[in-house]
Amino acid sequence: MTAAIELNDVTFGYRPTEPVLRQVNVTVESGTFLAVAGPNGAGKSTLLNLLAGLHRPQSGTISIEGADVHSYHRQALARKLAIVRQEFVPAFGFSVTETVMMARTPYFGQLGFESQNDRRIVAEALDLTETTRFASRLLAELSGGERQRVFIARALAQETPILLLDEPTSFLDLKHQVGIYDLLRSIQRDKGTTIVAITHDINLAAQYCDLALLLRPCPGNAPGAAGKSRHYHIAPPSEVFTPKGIEEAFGVRVFSAPVGAVSVILPLGQMARDADRLGLHKDL
Amino acid sequence: MHRILSPRILLLRILAAALLLGLVMTACALVGTEHISLKAALAPADGAVAPNPDFEILVHVRIPRIILAAIVGAALAGAGVTFQAVLRNPLADPYILGISSGAGLGAMLAVISGVTWTLWGRSPIAVFAFAGALGTVWLVWMIGRVTGKFHVTGLLLAGVVVNACFSAVIMFLTSIARSQEVHATIFWLMGNMTEEDFFVLWAGAGAVTAGLVALYFISPQLNVISFGQADAQSMGIDVKKTQLVAFALSAFITAVAVSLSGLIGFVGLIVPHAVRLLLGPDHRQLLPLSSLLGAMFLVLADTIARVAIAPAQLPVGVITAMVGGPFFLVLLVRFNRKVYWLK
Repeated sequence: MTAAIELNDVTFGYRPTEPVLRQVNVTVESGTFLAVAGPNGAGKSTLLNLLAGLHRPQSGTISIEGADVHSYHRQALARKLAIVRQEFVPAFGFSVTETVMMARTPYFGQLGFESQNDRRIVAEALDLTETTRFASRLLAELSGGERQRVFIARALAQETPILLLDEPTSFLDLKHQVGIYDLLRSIQRDKGTTIVAITHDINLAAQYCDLALLLRPCPGNAPGAAGKSRHYHIAPPSEVFTPKGIEEAFGVRVFSAPVGAVSVILPLGQMARDADRLGLHKDL
Repeated sequence: MHRILSPRILLLRILAAALLLGLVMTACALVGTEHISLKAALAPADGAVAPNPDFEILVHVRIPRIILAAIVGAALAGAGVTFQAVLRNPLADPYILGISSGAGLGAMLAVISGVTWTLWGRSPIAVFAFAGALGTVWLVWMIGRVTGKFHVTGLLLAGVVVNACFSAVIMFLTSIARSQEVHATIFWLMGNMTEEDFFVLWAGAGAVTAGLVALYFISPQLNVISFGQADAQSMGIDVKKTQLVAFALSAFITAVAVSLSGLIGFVGLIVPHAVRLLLGPDHRQLLPLSSLLGAMFLVLADTIARVAIAPAQLPVGVITAMVGGPFFLVLLVRFNRKVYWLK
C-alpha cells in the first residue's frame, strides 16, 4: 500500500542559501496520526505549506498517495488533503453552515448552488464535529473552541483521506484542547483519515498521536553542515518526546516524570519553583 | 440543518428588487421641474400636427437620464461588491485601485488638449476618461503582480500610490490650466448625469449587464476567497484566475460607468454594505441585489439632484454622499443594536 505522505530528500528555504528544511525524509502511512513539534522558526508551517503544494521544494520530492503533490490538479489535490489553519475570522459575517458549505464550492452546479449530496456531506460534517446546534450562528459569535470545530467540519466536508492542522488547540482552554484531540482521534478511527497536526503541546500530543516529528532549526549551509546529523527526528512519541530530545530542540531545560502511559515533560526556567531539581537556581 | 440561500429564494428576491426598481424608475420619470402626467404623455397626438410635449419630455429627457442613472448605479454597486470581496477589505470601493484618478487625468487631458472629435457620439472627455481608467487599473495590476506573494496588499498599495501620483498631476494641470477648462473638469469629476442618446444607453446597459452576469458566475468563488487565498486554494479554487476575472470585469464596468457620468462616489461603497447588513455576505445574493439596489439608489439620488434647486441642477455625486452617508450610518447603528439584542 502506498504511503499517504512521503517526503524524499526534501530541501526548501525561502532564500536559496538559507534552507528551512534540509534533506527531510519522512513517510507517513495511511491512517496515521502524526504530531509535528519544534521551536518557532523550525519550519513546521513551512512543512505544512509544502505538503499543501503552496511551495515547491528546492530539491527532493513530496508525494501524496503515491503521486507528486505538484502533479495534481488544484481540485484533485483538494480531494486528497484538507487544511485547518490557525484561528482566523473572515472580514464578512458568514454563518457556520455557509462556512462549511464552502468546502463544496468546486462541486456546485452551473448556477452556483449545492446539490442534495453536498447538503448531506455538510450535515454529516456538522454532526461529527458537534456543531449542528449552532449551525445558524455567525462565525464571529462563536468561542475559539467552537470556531475551531467549524473549521475542522469544513475540512471534513472536503472528504479527503488526509487532514492537515496548524496548531489546532493554540488558543483553547484545557477542556476544548482535549475536545479537539478527541475529535481528531475519532475521525482517524472512524474514517481512517491520516492526520498531521502541528502542535506546541507535546504532552497532549503524546497522549493521542501514533508518530511524532520533532524539528530543530536547520543548521544552514555552513561548511560541513550537510554532513552533520539530521535536524529532525521522526519516531513514535515515546522516543521523540524525551527530555534530551526536547532540551536539544528547544534549548530549554525540562523536568520529566512518568504519568500514566506516557512521560510528562515540563519546561523549567531559572525562577521556577522546581528549578533546584535541575540545578538551575545556581546559575542566578 | 440550518437553511441557507436557495436558488428559489434568490430568484424571488431578485424579482422583487427588479419590480421595485421598475416602480421607482417609473415614479421618478414623472417627477421633475416640468409637471407631466403619464396619461397626457401616452395620449395620441392631435392629428400629428404638433408633437405631444409631455411625451417629448418623458421619452427624450427623463427616461434616458433615468436609465443612465440605473446603469451607472448598478455598475458601481456591483463593482464595489467585487472589489471588497477580492481585496478582503470592507473599505474598498470601485475607485480604490486608481480608477478615479486615472479617469480624472484622462478627462483633464481631454479638456486641456482641446480635442473636439467624438467617438460614437461620445465626447472626448468620456473617451479619454474610459481609456485613463482602464489604463490605470492595468498599471496597478502589473505593479501588484511584481510584488508577488502578498498580492492583495501589493495591489492596494499600488492603487493608493498611483491614485496619489495621478491626483498630484491633476492638481498640477489644474493650476496651470485656464479657469474655464478647470470648471468643466471639476464639474465632471463631481459626477453628473446628462441626457444621453439611446445608442449610448443601450451600449452602456449591454456592457454593464454582461459584466454583472459574468461576475455572478464567480460569486461562489468570491465567498471562498473572503476566507483568504491560501484557504481558497486548498479548497480547490483557482484563486489567481478568479482574482483576474473579478478585477478585469469590475474595472471594465466601473470604467463604463465613469465614462458615462464622471466620478460618483459612495454608491459603490455603501450599497454593498447596506445589502450585506440586511441579507448577509453571500456573494451569490449580494452581487445581483446590490446591483439592483445601487441602480435604485442612484435613480432616486439623481431625481433629487434634478429637482432640489430647480431649475438649476446639482451634481448627483453631492446627493449620493449627502443622503447616502447618514442613511448608511443609521443602518449601521440599527444593525449593531439588533445584534446586541440577539445576544
